Amino acid sequence: MKRTRQPGISRRATLALMGAGAVTIAAPWVARAQAKTIKIGMPTILSGRVAQLGTSSRNAVLLEVEKVNAAGGLAGRQIEMVIRDSKGQPQEAARIARELVNTDGCEMLFDGEASSGSFAVHEVARDLGVLCIHTCSEASSLTADPKQHIPNAFRCVRQGIHDSIVGGSYAAAIAKTKGLKKWATCSPDYAYGRDTTGEFSLYLKRFAPDVEIISESWPKLFQPDYTEVVTKILQAKPQALYTCLWGGDLTSYIDQANIYALFTQMEVFAVNMADYTALTVVKNLPKGIHSGNRYIKTFPKTPENAAWGDAYRAKYNEYPTNWSWQNATAVMLLTEAVKKANSTDGKKVAEALRGLTIKCPFGADGTVTMRGEDNTLVGYAIGWGTTIPQEPYVPEVKAGDWKTIFELEAEWKKSKGYT
Amino acid sequence: MTELQAGRASETLSAPRIETRSFRSRYRDILVALVAFAVLAALPFFFGSKALLDFVIRCSAFGLFATSLNLLVGYTGMISFGHGMFFGLGAYGFGLLMQRTGVPIPVAFVATLAITAVFAAIIGAICVRLKEIYFAFVTLAFQMLIHSTILTWASLTGGDQGLRGGIPRPVFLGIDLANHVHLYITSCALLVLGLLLMRQIAQSPFGYTLRMIRDNARRASFIGIDVWRAKLTIFVLAALFASTGGMVMALFVSGAYPEFAYWTISGEGIFINMLGGVTTFLGPMVGTVLLLILNDTVTRFTEYHGIVLGLVILFFAIGLRKGLMDYLLEWYAQRRDGRGERG
Repeated sequence: MKRTRQPGISRRATLALMGAGAVTIAAPWVARAQAKTIKIGMPTILSGRVAQLGTSSRNAVLLEVEKVNAAGGLAGRQIEMVIRDSKGQPQEAARIARELVNTDGCEMLFDGEASSGSFAVHEVARDLGVLCIHTCSEASSLTADPKQHIPNAFRCVRQGIHDSIVGGSYAAAIAKTKGLKKWATCSPDYAYGRDTTGEFSLYLKRFAPDVEIISESWPKLFQPDYTEVVTKILQAKPQALYTCLWGGDLTSYIDQANIYALFTQMEVFAVNMADYTALTVVKNLPKGIHSGNRYIKTFPKTPENAAWGDAYRAKYNEYPTNWSWQNATAVMLLTEAVKKANSTDGKKVAEALRGLTIKCPFGADGTVTMRGEDNTLVGYAIGWGTTIPQEPYVPEVKAGDWKTIFELEAEWKKSKGYT
Repeated sequence: MTELQAGRASETLSAPRIETRSFRSRYRDILVALVAFAVLAALPFFFGSKALLDFVIRCSAFGLFATSLNLLVGYTGMISFGHGMFFGLGAYGFGLLMQRTGVPIPVAFVATLAITAVFAAIIGAICVRLKEIYFAFVTLAFQMLIHSTILTWASLTGGDQGLRGGIPRPVFLGIDLANHVHLYITSCALLVLGLLLMRQIAQSPFGYTLRMIRDNARRASFIGIDVWRAKLTIFVLAALFASTGGMVMALFVSGAYPEFAYWTISGEGIFINMLGGVTTFLGPMVGTVLLLILNDTVTRFTEYHGIVLGLVILFFAIGLRKGLMDYLLEWYAQRRDGRGERG
């Protein structure tokens, strides 16, 4: 039998298309109508090699949001997090950030992007004027450079320059005690690696002027084989090695350097070692690696910090990361700012955030501050210690002195032309 | 009359008809472009959704990029794995000119095109002599060279953090690109104009020369075509359109990032061409719209978007064995022929 139906779009299909169109167009209005909850958008990296950045950030945010919601929410409004994967691509981060505000009706943004993605989201915040808290990007220029400054964006993250000052003074003290004059460096070949290593060397030489850097290695980011780097360092015979490799790169490096017994031949300073992501993954963690604290539940040595670390582990069956405490702090700061402003209006909250000091388990003295002059977090726990192969991994951490950090940071800003 | 003479006679007879047809089709293309631009420009007046405008802006950037890649892949048979470098060059060239020199936007636009043309001419002069896989890999090598340069020349490019601080957009001819609707209309204009120009290239005698090179370069060479020059010309032209796409993207995100010049951008271009089809002019544009819709919807619901997109690629590569537009065209032709036979 011959079919009589004419080719083309059927009535049913037309209706379905019209319906889908209406839903798409109406979505922003529907979103705004449900204003009882407050939506916070969060672009972050949930896939690829640094997916742990996004997943551990998300875990921490959700852990804190649960508490805030149980306590009545933000000014009586329950928080709903809308978290999306940017795949680590800046154009996707910008697209998602815009979509979260324009389509999903998010009133604030948590920017869980690293490096270039955070600058892309920063531009969206500049363009849309929405309140934005950066929670993962450690690039100092994001808030130190006045060209970047916008009144509605804040950074709730540790900073490369702070780490370098504390690391430099700690390493210099050890260099003087143990007579470590010949140093080598080995850091990933991209802006973070080069900047952080440069700043560390600067402060190391400032506190211990007779130190000499005799070898530099710049392995590629995500390089699988470090044999040539390890042998190059061994041939140079330095007394100490500095590295800012991180995550999987650091653990691969340590595993491979262990084969050559590198850690018995020199003192090693690895700023990113004391994070559970690295500590628990290395097969044979050498004793005595000097490291900056990323996140460990024993520093600051307070019951609040230990309880927070345990609660996170109990809920997610894994240790929190450096990104976790930063994201948790962002929620805590936001909550207090909303209380202070007695409003969830972005501008009022931003005003309340500026210069706000709150009680926080991750504070050096039990508090952290959102510094008003450059909208960045200060006063967080920062220090260096040495590793042991089992829990608590870094038993003693020597805390950095925030007074010195502030002084040297001001000098550094001046030298960069930021002030 | 010999066969040759007969051929010539029929050529003289049919020549005016062909000319009239191409003349008509050119006007038809311009008309279609005008209608498309009018429809796109009218969208903001009917729909308040900023996300829709963002979507079209991104479609413009990737559409220009993917269609220009198709000039190489589909029309000339040159599979470039490094076409993304020109997308990145466009974004960085434009961003740097605007940030550092403060020249008016049209000047920066033209200067960026000129810079891209120089780069493309140098890289192309080396690459287009090579065939198939060698061409593909040397273009990829150049792309990685440019990407590495962007990463390491941090004082100029900002390294892995990209061009920061936003791209200034001074008003020109009453157009304010800081205004979302103005940016949208400008992107649409660039897209439509770019597509129209590429269509003219594809339909010109030069376009048919490219097809001939694709089908049999040696034969083309024997009948007197300078294959190297033709390939280099299209390589440079395609780079200019990709660069324009990069500039649109730089304006959209108000910055330029090393990822724009990374091989994954070239990979996305090839994926778009696979999705949309390479035998029709609008195939890559359809592929762009499909990929962006897929990407935007899938990433909303799952972080395992890689699996979903992978399955889609498999469906097109193994299931359909061609792009969507290629498939639809074939299906339509079969249907028409079938009806013709019945009738």
